[in-house]
Amino acid sequence: MQSILYLRGVGHETPAFFDLPEAGNIKAKLPRELEPSDFDDYKAILIPSHINQRALIPFAPFMERFLNRGGVLVFNGHLVYPVIPGLSSFVPAQGGRLEDLIVERVNNHPIFEGVNVDDLSFRRGVAGFYGRGSNPPPSGALILHRLKKDGSVIDWVWHRPEGGVIFMHTGNPMWMFVNDDTSAARIAPRLLVWVNTLLGNSMDDIKRLMPARPLCDGKCAQKRMCC
Amino acid sequence: MNIAYIDGGTYYHHDTFHDPELNPYFAANIYAPELYQTDLSSFDALYIASRQDSDDLLFNQEKILHFLDAGKTVVVAGDNAAEQWVPGAQWTDEPVNFWWWLTPGEDSGLRLAAPEHALMRTMTLQDFTWHHHGFFTPPDGAVSIINTTSGGSVFYEDTVSTKGRLFVTSLDPCYHHGSHFMPAASRLLRGFLPWLHRQ
Repeated sequence: MQSILYLRGVGHETPAFFDLPEAGNIKAKLPRELEPSDFDDYKAILIPSHINQRALIPFAPFMERFLNRGGVLVFNGHLVYPVIPGLSSFVPAQGGRLEDLIVERVNNHPIFEGVNVDDLSFRRGVAGFYGRGSNPPPSGALILHRLKKDGSVIDWVWHRPEGGVIFMHTGNPMWMFVNDDTSAARIAPRLLVWVNTLLGNSMDDIKRLMPARPLCDGKCAQKRMCC
Repeated sequence: MNIAYIDGGTYYHHDTFHDPELNPYFAANIYAPELYQTDLSSFDALYIASRQDSDDLLFNQEKILHFLDAGKTVVVAGDNAAEQWVPGAQWTDEPVNFWWWLTPGEDSGLRLAAPEHALMRTMTLQDFTWHHHGFFTPPDGAVSIINTTSGGSVFYEDTVSTKGRLFVTSLDPCYHHGSHFMPAASRLLRGFLPWLHRQ
């Protein structure tokens, strides 16, 4: 079974989605613990938005090699440093009012199956949690979600011609909704199923790795950094 | 005042530092993992942006205390484990009410504690008000500028714990401003940084 590497954010947080039964094969490291060999040893990497991006710059050549060998990269946040070769930097949305931040679905994707796009636009009636700008998609990427008003592309997936797959989410981590009482809670388990399917892993095998324990109750000490 | 911006390498540290409205107030950007090898002698103040890897700050505790002992100023913004390395900082965690403003009659839980403080000639309580992640108990002799109704402080000035001047806050304006999300956080930076720069 292939493991997934999760790079910890600056708060060293262990996110709540680690408690999902689908998360049994995730290993976590801080950027300062990264070795070039990690980009050979792992076939999938998850990056949260609170990552020290500057610490990843020296690893950009290894990231490119990882992708060229068929690696799966899931990146959350605003890309502002040359961490992923060939991608452009974050562009903020043109407005910050509620009507500027409504999300629209452009293409369906297994990660968002059963996820109501209104649950991405609004959290307790407040807009803007999901995305407030765009890490611009490269030519050939499949656009999944964008802001209805100015067209800022928030989510895209790109099967690179050189090999590898990048799933981009321009915003707070997609797994931050895991304990919400909306359809957005489905994103985190579906993301893990999607990644593991690309890796050829059996979800039954992964679920057997997880000790029986309750899902995060949202009261953990790291709650504010869970996402 | 020459202010060095301590940058933890995240996108929100990047976007705050490079904001054309705020950048002129910083004399330099120091990447936190390189702080240990940086000569600080030309700076009068360190602005330690919110939400960094606290290991980098703990590693530099002695250097930062030496800077304060030279009579200089250090601003420690929120979520930097200040209670582990800032003299006098005592922290109490509290559940965060992100949603108080959606409930009619609900209160932010913040109060202006030092209306006479020079900072408040150009700022208001609203510039410090979004949500807070707990509170500090300032040491005796320190001045709380913004209190919580639970008896703590989310923004205080401490000139007694070191030979220098400390501003300690639990608020995280760089995170929100750099995320393009929270007008009050932007107002805090637009009010506090010019004031600090003029000192």
